[in-house]
Amino acid sequence: MTRWGMLIDVGRCVGCQACTVACKTENQSPYDAWYAPVIEWESGVFPDATLNYLPTLCNHCEDAPCVDACPSGAITRRDDGIVIADEDICIGSRACMAACPYGAINFFEDSGTVSPPVASTAIPESVPERYASEKHVSGAISKCTYCAHRIDYGIEHGLEVGVHPLATPACVVTCPAECRIFGDLDDAESNINRYLAEKGPGEVLRPDAETNPKTTYVGLP
Amino acid sequence: MNSVDSSTGRGGTPVPQNAFMDHFNLEARTQRVWDLNHAVWFTLMGLGGGVFLVGRILNLTEGLGHCLGIPMVDIVSFVAIAIGGLILVADLGRPLQFWRAFANIRTSWISWGAWADLVFLTVAGLLVLPALTFGDLQPFDGLGWEPDGSDATGLAMEILAGVAAIVVMTYAGAVLARPRSIPYWNSPAVPIQFFLSSSAMSVAAVLLLTAIHDEPISGGQMLLLGGLTTGLLTSVIVHLSTHQNAPGKQQSLDSLLRGIHRRVFVGGVMVLGTAVPALLAFVGATTSGIREVAAMISFALLLPGGLMLRLTTLRVGIFPPVHIQSK
Repeated sequence: MTRWGMLIDVGRCVGCQACTVACKTENQSPYDAWYAPVIEWESGVFPDATLNYLPTLCNHCEDAPCVDACPSGAITRRDDGIVIADEDICIGSRACMAACPYGAINFFEDSGTVSPPVASTAIPESVPERYASEKHVSGAISKCTYCAHRIDYGIEHGLEVGVHPLATPACVVTCPAECRIFGDLDDAESNINRYLAEKGPGEVLRPDAETNPKTTYVGLP
Repeated sequence: MNSVDSSTGRGGTPVPQNAFMDHFNLEARTQRVWDLNHAVWFTLMGLGGGVFLVGRILNLTEGLGHCLGIPMVDIVSFVAIAIGGLILVADLGRPLQFWRAFANIRTSWISWGAWADLVFLTVAGLLVLPALTFGDLQPFDGLGWEPDGSDATGLAMEILAGVAAIVVMTYAGAVLARPRSIPYWNSPAVPIQFFLSSSAMSVAAVLLLTAIHDEPISGGQMLLLGGLTTGLLTSVIVHLSTHQNAPGKQQSLDSLLRGIHRRVFVGGVMVLGTAVPALLAFVGATTSGIREVAAMISFALLLPGGLMLRLTTLRVGIFPPVHIQSK
């Protein structure tokens, strides 16, 4: 059984926000909606002050509170563990936004604020479906899908998911510091599990929320 | 750590897109998903379900006036729930798709609430239908049950509508309490407070109707009101005094007790909206001469108090930071 997940090595992140922009371009997310922001904060006191970076995105939780809270069934978990939202089914109750401990869900209410389509050369074959200015529905929520369209495209074309750039989430492909790793959590030999074996056990954000996330971190400050 | 209420963006334009990530900072964030419309909806649902339930349990439906043959208590209940439902639908991002809210009864409290609203309005509406009167005409008189629940079919409908009314009164609190995202909400105290507040508002509303119709108010009825308001005040105090240092809840408590919501919450909800009605009810229970006035004042305080309870609960919904740095 395949169970996609992402590992983020926070120690490698340089805070360039390239992943943030790549995600926005790839998914044509609505104005002011960010699926993969890098959070920044300062710690310490001069001369030992540090600027910290924390790349974030939907945690694609095993026990996703957004799935449970959604009254319309618009948010579902695929067999491979990816949590997706069907904007056509969403009624805009925003219960998922209140339920998500990570603030990973965006609400979009004005068709006039969508960015115009920008040509992406990442996956020319899938571009028509992904020109999302028509895809995002006003009054509905949208969120990170681990770039499920790229994963599906890769599987369909026999590419190795998480390794081949066309079969890997845009944020992972774009990261210049290679701090994001995507792979199959159920495959002991996958790149993500090999990295985890080397770097030690991963941590999750908001462990108190008990959502069992599939996005894990190493090197959290 | 301070919470940030980023309700406006550059130039003062609303920024409703994301719960808290419009600034890429590691901070506790106040939710901006639900506000006044939801507080009004929660209040009307609680009042509507409660008035029906209280009217039937206290057997006060018949003596408090009628409209088109239907007891005024039931009319108040239906109107409150219908308006609450309309506010809910209007506040959806896609109101015309409201029917999809019934889909996820497996895990969603909103779906449970939608079904409870529908069952309540349908069953309770059918229950009172035989009493509907236009002049001398009772077009549904031939239906096979008694609107006051005095026969087996009527009683069964009354019980079903009553159970639905309890869900209607409680589910808004359950919607908030279920997820662990916002620690102040994630507590059984929230649905308990909403249920007790709804019950107290409803008893006061029924007693207000009783006073208006010059019917006697008993000491027991005033004691019931006093008990419910005392229970509400106790549950609020218990909720405020537990897990005070939990990330997120700490900021919520600061906002409620020391921050911008202090006057409304402490003065409006706890003192005027709960403690004063409790005191009036207990005094009224022992002094028959002031019961009518006490009931009227109690209702006038409990209704806005209940609304403010729900509104402040929503407004102090604070997400803790997604990561808390180790020392």
